[in-house]
Amino acid sequence: MVSGLRIIMLLIVLLLSVSFFVSVFYIVNKERRENITREAVTTLNTLSESISSDIERYKEISRLVMMDDGLVTFLKATGTPVDAVFINDTRSSIMRVLNPTTMVDSVFGFRDDGIYIVSNRNRYSMDFSIINDPEWKQAIEDQKGGAVISVNADGGISRVVGRPLVSIGRTVYDVNTQQRIGMIIMNISSAFMDKKLISISDKKIAVIGTDGTLLSGNDSVPALLCGLDINISEDIVHREIKDGNTNLLLSIKQLPQMPIYIAVATPIENGFVMYGTIYVLLGLLLVFMFAIAVAGMYITRYITKPVSDLTRALDETTEKGTLKQIDIDIPENEISVLKDSYNGMVERVNNLFDKVLDNEKAIRRAEMRMLHEQIKPHFLYNSLETIGYLAMEAGAEDVHKALETLGSFYRNFLSKGEREITLKTELNIIKDYLALQKLRYGDILTDEYDIAEDTLNCRIPKLILQPIVENSIYHGIRLKGEMGLIRISSRFVDGLLHLSVYDTGIGMPQEQIDEILSKKQYNGDTDSAFADIYDTSDSFGLWGTIERVRGFCENDDVVSIRSEQGEFTEVEFVIKPRTR
Amino acid sequence: MYRVMLIDDELPVRKLMLSSIDWASLDMEVVGEAASGIEAINVIDDMRPDIAFVDISMPFMNGIEFTEVATKNYPELIIIIMTAFDKFEYARKCVSLPVFDYMLKPMVRTEVTDTLLRAKARLDARLGDRSKSLVFGSAAPQDDSADEGGSVSEQIMRYIEANYTDSCVNLTSVAQQFGFSSSYLSRKFKQETGRNFLEYLTECRMKKAIELAENNVKMYKASAAVGIPDPNYFGRCFKKFTGKGYSEYVR
Repeated sequence: MVSGLRIIMLLIVLLLSVSFFVSVFYIVNKERRENITREAVTTLNTLSESISSDIERYKEISRLVMMDDGLVTFLKATGTPVDAVFINDTRSSIMRVLNPTTMVDSVFGFRDDGIYIVSNRNRYSMDFSIINDPEWKQAIEDQKGGAVISVNADGGISRVVGRPLVSIGRTVYDVNTQQRIGMIIMNISSAFMDKKLISISDKKIAVIGTDGTLLSGNDSVPALLCGLDINISEDIVHREIKDGNTNLLLSIKQLPQMPIYIAVATPIENGFVMYGTIYVLLGLLLVFMFAIAVAGMYITRYITKPVSDLTRALDETTEKGTLKQIDIDIPENEISVLKDSYNGMVERVNNLFDKVLDNEKAIRRAEMRMLHEQIKPHFLYNSLETIGYLAMEAGAEDVHKALETLGSFYRNFLSKGEREITLKTELNIIKDYLALQKLRYGDILTDEYDIAEDTLNCRIPKLILQPIVENSIYHGIRLKGEMGLIRISSRFVDGLLHLSVYDTGIGMPQEQIDEILSKKQYNGDTDSAFADIYDTSDSFGLWGTIERVRGFCENDDVVSIRSEQGEFTEVEFVIKPRTR
Repeated sequence: MYRVMLIDDELPVRKLMLSSIDWASLDMEVVGEAASGIEAINVIDDMRPDIAFVDISMPFMNGIEFTEVATKNYPELIIIIMTAFDKFEYARKCVSLPVFDYMLKPMVRTEVTDTLLRAKARLDARLGDRSKSLVFGSAAPQDDSADEGGSVSEQIMRYIEANYTDSCVNLTSVAQQFGFSSSYLSRKFKQETGRNFLEYLTECRMKKAIELAENNVKMYKASAAVGIPDPNYFGRCFKKFTGKGYSEYVR
């Protein structure tokens, strides 16, 4: 029982620890991802906003450029030859607009007739198949004066040496006629982003064109993007990828209406975790387990052990077959209350037993008294005396003597209802009884008495020898058909009173002796006695007397029977003397 | 005169019964006594009673057992059970036995007389019905053809010699065995052998008993061995036969 409880406790502790660590692991992971994601989103949004606003600013500048008179003149001047002066004028006009700005790499002005102007003398690689692509141009025109952002003008213009460009394309209209007069493409060096990225340098972060051109930032990022299916419809896309041994969270945001992504790759392991909270939880767990251990010890010491002690004590009293109060050391708690109430119950039950026993004894006494009353000894004695007198008058001396014996027998036999009488009285009963039996059956026996003088005044249970003598006559001597001898002896041996009835009857076999001495109920009911009223096996009187003596002495070993078949039977009682 | 038999193991009870009832005025006479069921079965054929007073409490064969045997062999016999108070309720349980009446001890003369008067009335009525036949009266020989010299008696003697150890062997049981009425057998046996049947049976038993006594067999064992399991009755028979007590034979 104790070990069972311990196992349960251990299991609980184990389960708690396992579930704690599993959930901690789970929570930590989740927390990390959420934190990383949140950070990435913040970074992306900040960057996106910052870059977008810069680009917006450049868009404004491009509008100024678009409306620059020099450029407009250049674009409108169809048919006019384009000489160096004209170009210089136009360039300086544009540069005037651009002067206060930084990072603008160049402005390209395209006339619809194919002639174009560049605001500086850097070397560019031009792909006119793109720039002159009607579809591409139409996309810019569709903005109705708005700007279209692209990277390196979608491959149309790029620096031969230098950083990739962010291109702002615009269609230019005549202010007065609203007629299309050309197209400008203002290129901004992607270096304008570097500053912004440097402030968040602890992450792998990059700005990338949709075509994979690294505009700014960590150059390992574009490779990570390879093979990823990025759905542009989402605001921010998060992907977990593996780069070598590190798990990375890749978060990607497209700048609004621009073919530009911002990508942030954060190692998940680096995610911020609230270890403080976990340590607090761990501490709580330890405290809790300690509490369980203490509770377990408490339960063991104050409940389990007392309960098992109590159970053992109860079992012991049950085995002994008596209801005894339990006296074991138990701590003061509910268990001791249980013990106390059990003891209380035992006391009550024992009281009830005693009460029932007393009642039973009272009933027995009442019955005995009633029987005694029914016999009406006085009436009997008086009648016997009267008849005795009549017999004397008629000269029947022997009748008087017989009546006298009968009267004496009954007086001793009843003994005023006492349970104990002296051996002397018992012997008188036997002598009278045998005298009367001799009258009935003639001289079938002689009686002898071998009585130690000092035993005469011993008090013995009433009528313990007479039924044995009666048994000797009916189940011993009469069945033998010969003159029999009954010898009563009494003596003290080692302070114990030995009383024996010896007869020279037919004796009894050992099995019958064993049966009589056995405690089991002798078949004394009338049905089984039907066929053998005087059968030798019907020794109920003997058995009943033995039981009575055993009960009186509260000891089963007070009687012994010795016999030899055809020779003798001797019944001996050994009892503690009571003298008074 | 109707014949009455008293069966009780106490001599004083029998004597009291014998002397306190005015038998003659009831047209009855006490023809025999027995101190046990065994003795009664042995002597009943000689007594040929019409009425039997039977005590229940007797050793070896109690009143109930005796009644069982007697009603089988002597269906006409009127049996009156006498019983002490403590056995009375138990005696009541044997109502299946054809017992004429149960009477409680100690005996009260008027009650006994009343019962006897009723018994007499029944016997009178039976006599009226079959005036020619008495219970143990002059039964006519049933089968004279069996009269082949002494062979029947010899057969019977051989039968007795072979079966006397059985305590149930008596005149009536042997007669039933051989298909005679007991009175016929009794007469015929006497005629042919010149001896009384019971005397012959007892002689067989006593000869064996003497033999046993000389071999130092205990009396109660010898008595059971020769078919008289009541050692008291056996002792009397032995003394009557030999003139000496059994123990005197035992050395």
